[in-house]
Amino acid sequence: MRPLLILASLAVVASAQNVTFLRDVAPILNKAGCTSGPCHGAAKGKNGFKLSLRGYDPQYDYEALLYDLSGRRFNRSEPKRSLMLAKPVMQVAHGGGLRFEQTSEYYKTIERWIAQGVPYGDPAKDTVAAIEVEPKELAMPKPGESAQVKVMARFADGQTRDVTKEATIESNVPDLAKVDASAKVDGLRIGEATLLVRYQGKFSTIPVTILNPKTGFVWKPLPQHSYIDQHIDAKLQKLKLQPSPVTDDASFLRRVTLDLSGALPTPDEVRAFLADPAPQRLKRSRKIDKLIASPAYADQWTVKWGDLLQSSRKFLGEKGTYGFREWIHSSIAANKPYDKMVRELLTSRGSSYDDPAANYFRTTREPKPTMEKTTQVFLGVRMVCAQCHDHPFEKWTQNQYYQMSAFFSAVGLRPGYEVGEEIIYDQRADYEMKHPKDSRVMAPEFLIASATPVKIPTDQRRRDALADWLVSKQNPFFAKAIANRVWSYFFGKGIIDPVDDIRASNPPVNPQLLEALTKDLIDHNFDLQHLMRTIVNSRAYQASFLTNEWNTGDAENFSHAIPRRLSSEQLADAVTMAAGAKPNFPEVPEDTSASQLPDPHVGKDGFLDLFGRPNRESACECERRTDFSLPQALNLVNGTTISDAVADPKGRVAKLVLAGKADQAIIEDLYLATLSRFPTKQEADNGIKYLAGGARATRAQDLLWALLNSKGFLYSY
Amino acid sequence: MLNIPGYSARTCEGPTRRELMRIGSLGLAGLHLPGFFMSQKAALANEVAKKYAGARGFGNAKNVIMIFLQGGPSHIDIWDPKPDAPSNIRGEFKPIKTKIPGTFIGEHMPMMANTMDKVTLIRSMSYTPNGLFNHTAAIYQMLTGYPPDKVSPSGQLEPPNAADFPTAGSHVSKLKPLTDAMLPFIELPRPLQESGIIGKGGAAGFLGKAYDPYRLYQDPAEKVTLEDLSLRKEIPANRLKDRFDLLKGINGSMPELEKALNASAVDEYYGKAYDLVLSGKARDAMDLSKETAAMRERYGQHTFGQSVLMARRLIEAGTRFVQVNWPSVANGDPEKTAWDTHAANFGPLKNLHCPKLDRALSALLQDMDERGLLKETLVVAVGEFGRSPRMGLSTSGNVNSPDGRDHWPYCYSSVIAGAGIARGMQYGESDATASSPKEKPVHPNDLLATIYYALGIDPEMEIRNHLNQPRELVKGKIVSDLFA
Repeated sequence: MRPLLILASLAVVASAQNVTFLRDVAPILNKAGCTSGPCHGAAKGKNGFKLSLRGYDPQYDYEALLYDLSGRRFNRSEPKRSLMLAKPVMQVAHGGGLRFEQTSEYYKTIERWIAQGVPYGDPAKDTVAAIEVEPKELAMPKPGESAQVKVMARFADGQTRDVTKEATIESNVPDLAKVDASAKVDGLRIGEATLLVRYQGKFSTIPVTILNPKTGFVWKPLPQHSYIDQHIDAKLQKLKLQPSPVTDDASFLRRVTLDLSGALPTPDEVRAFLADPAPQRLKRSRKIDKLIASPAYADQWTVKWGDLLQSSRKFLGEKGTYGFREWIHSSIAANKPYDKMVRELLTSRGSSYDDPAANYFRTTREPKPTMEKTTQVFLGVRMVCAQCHDHPFEKWTQNQYYQMSAFFSAVGLRPGYEVGEEIIYDQRADYEMKHPKDSRVMAPEFLIASATPVKIPTDQRRRDALADWLVSKQNPFFAKAIANRVWSYFFGKGIIDPVDDIRASNPPVNPQLLEALTKDLIDHNFDLQHLMRTIVNSRAYQASFLTNEWNTGDAENFSHAIPRRLSSEQLADAVTMAAGAKPNFPEVPEDTSASQLPDPHVGKDGFLDLFGRPNRESACECERRTDFSLPQALNLVNGTTISDAVADPKGRVAKLVLAGKADQAIIEDLYLATLSRFPTKQEADNGIKYLAGGARATRAQDLLWALLNSKGFLYSY
Repeated sequence: MLNIPGYSARTCEGPTRRELMRIGSLGLAGLHLPGFFMSQKAALANEVAKKYAGARGFGNAKNVIMIFLQGGPSHIDIWDPKPDAPSNIRGEFKPIKTKIPGTFIGEHMPMMANTMDKVTLIRSMSYTPNGLFNHTAAIYQMLTGYPPDKVSPSGQLEPPNAADFPTAGSHVSKLKPLTDAMLPFIELPRPLQESGIIGKGGAAGFLGKAYDPYRLYQDPAEKVTLEDLSLRKEIPANRLKDRFDLLKGINGSMPELEKALNASAVDEYYGKAYDLVLSGKARDAMDLSKETAAMRERYGQHTFGQSVLMARRLIEAGTRFVQVNWPSVANGDPEKTAWDTHAANFGPLKNLHCPKLDRALSALLQDMDERGLLKETLVVAVGEFGRSPRMGLSTSGNVNSPDGRDHWPYCYSSVIAGAGIARGMQYGESDATASSPKEKPVHPNDLLATIYYALGIDPEMEIRNHLNQPRELVKGKIVSDLFA
């Protein structure tokens, strides 16, 4: 082991005041970009020279510099002629271009380091123990101000050093708070941002608030329906954001019906709700209870959980998919406590036909992907980065990746007795998880120590211990992740967003709100219906999308609703319902709606996929798309879906015309079926005029076509 | 009904097509991205322009025709003959002179030999895959610039998914968006395919389906029907206009919603969809009956030839990136024109493949040049690999007939032309047996980097994958020596 011997001797030579790799040189490699992903930090390095990504493994980098190319990178008698200096200053050709000047401090430091014999340093002294940032948070009274950030590193030996220049500082909203190379922060517009400060594997965050300088803000309190509104108001008041009041009954009904049941309210439902004389909050709350109890509620949330659990015949076969869907559907319809549902998935064993929850293991099959899915879906944590390197923005290490994977290393799959059946069992031998670097056995270990001391079994039943820890009320991630995720389904974004990327460097916009939701969920024993009911009864959820002069620029703090495009299944079902047509999907019983389909195999490459239905290839929320594109517009304008639906000979228009309804009635019905509201006087007049301009049926079809293509239909607001 | 500004009273025939168009593009697409995004984009474009200021060939190309010869054409028999190699390598074909002095190609490419003064012939395409590569893995490498992450021991791949790296055409149509209403990225005549795996390496992957190619999925040599791009029979132009008027009125009656959705580009896409359907631009471009019989004959009366002709028409109509895939499945039967000549090489090449490729490619290059289109269109013809110089040798685990050739990514050829690419040049050279490059190796990633660069796209730019991780557009070297 020659390298280690040399390392040890170098470490002895290096004294604190000398230049060492750990303390002085490694940060330069990071700051100059050498270790970045597109450069030598890439998985395979760059042009034959590889460093660890963002320098997470300094020992590896040191050895790469020292021993690759047989040490040709250094010329110790003439340091200036070392490749390590000639390359970044472009004295010799360098694919990465000029990294720093010959006159720079970086150059001089590396030069001195080489002259001193390239010492590594002593990890017990030269490692960064922590970084401290100044100020801890930044508040600017108005846009246009700027502030200086200072970063201090404290080393293991207690020494400190100003590393402001070498630290990496990034803003998560660069058009709000911009950071330049000298760590000066410019506030550009009103709102909030977070600065992520990184230095040698340690990181810290600085919240930035840029206040609205406009005077004359007078907080006008609105009714608070629950703790949700209290926490939101507390923040809004601080930021001078006057919330929007609750929306009108028609928009509320449309929004809440789509969100809870995935469908549009029918014209009769709209009429009845608008005519209901009960006090507003009461009648809304009654409606919410009714929707949660409806069969469509279970369909809608089965789609969501089918996505997250990747229920697809690609992995499960046709019979398996129907079985898994049924298991999900009945769990949701029965409002099975969420912790129980997750425990059943993680501890399932036996035949995939007898215990459909065992399909959980059939989609990912291998321990590592199963672990990645488990942590991403149930803890909101993305471990995938840590497979190859320590997580760049989190404390998760590569070791933890394998320790967590070890919980699933004994899961075995073998063919069952029937066609397509698989048996999930606990392997009896050769099930240890090994580290890829040195093949050492990685014993299972929780990502975060359990609140109560637990002895983790190392036998093949180890995943039961994981289930206990994971769904525990004391687990700081489990309840928080689902509370945040559910919130996002009703607001279009999480309190932490993306919802499956929870980490210290991605803080919640309203920590008190998230904490309160989490506590409420735990207090109600993981009753997701309770959580949803609480959310949709809040004033914040019921707020109008219309803004006032104070909250018009706010898109983060839930001060008003933000229009969301209907999801692909919602859109398909809404078109069918509004046009009075029948759903028509291949391979499933007649009248099966988009939200009742078993998996993405049905109707593949059709309308649903075009509008962003996920393929269920991954457990990431990001697989579902809600953006808008030219092919989508072409389909809506000229494709068969809408054109056929409006011209359906048994559809809404045909029925209205055949029944000889008056113009006003036709127009009312079409508006109620599409925009879930009565037309305004002006809209009705325009419609009547249009109907009179030609054959009534044709003209009514045109009107329905236009309503189905309108933003008022494509969006929930 | 609402009045359309600037629209005069109807005539008896109804509004003219031109007037209808104006409603589509102005009436609905009147809203633009907020200034902020625009200025950010402009700033970035400036920076890239500065970085490559004065660089040879940068930004020369407006469009691309990618002729992708899936299956792996035999470079030694077509582009890189080795008459002095042993008989089990040199094969049956004789070399013929070309318009590049000193450069010979296979005897079954006479028309291309006569067209070589318009192109650069790269004879040093080369890469070394990890493990056993079959077609799909190699296609993925060629067109996305990344090796696939999941390859089975047989070299087969999984079907396309949303985590895939995007194919070149998807990147280009996103990074160089069209301003006119036209389909930006079209794949003819059908998607890439090996066995049951369709479209791997030829889809938008993590960019999202919005950037997938428009796939014709029909044979241009037959009658092509384009329902989605044609006005529906029951909806003539007037009625579609009426519908759009109504739509505009309905949207207009919810002004607050319009304002809240300002940045969503819904109007822009609706305007383009309207223009596209009404103008018939894409439909007309794909209507080969508008060409003379002589012109159709010139490209060859077969699926490949007519697809190449359609590609030229689409470029004329404003499409950014046209990809023509060799019509056979990559691992198809060589006797039915698949390039995958394990079982039989010389007969099929001589009688089926080469005559088609020769005619269509030479016709395209000459025709484009005559029309002045070659100035701003980059034309690339390449497969996912070449074929083993030694006959009967197994490199892929497939069985080869004694005169068959197996997969060979270590050295092969490509043809590149247009947008300032040198005319009549040979770039790189292979060794005595066409087994490895003797000089100037060009990795598939270098070819991609050069294509992006020609379009004015910085190949080193950072992109974000589905997990928002930073990745490079492509890790390749720009081969600026290809430009004149």
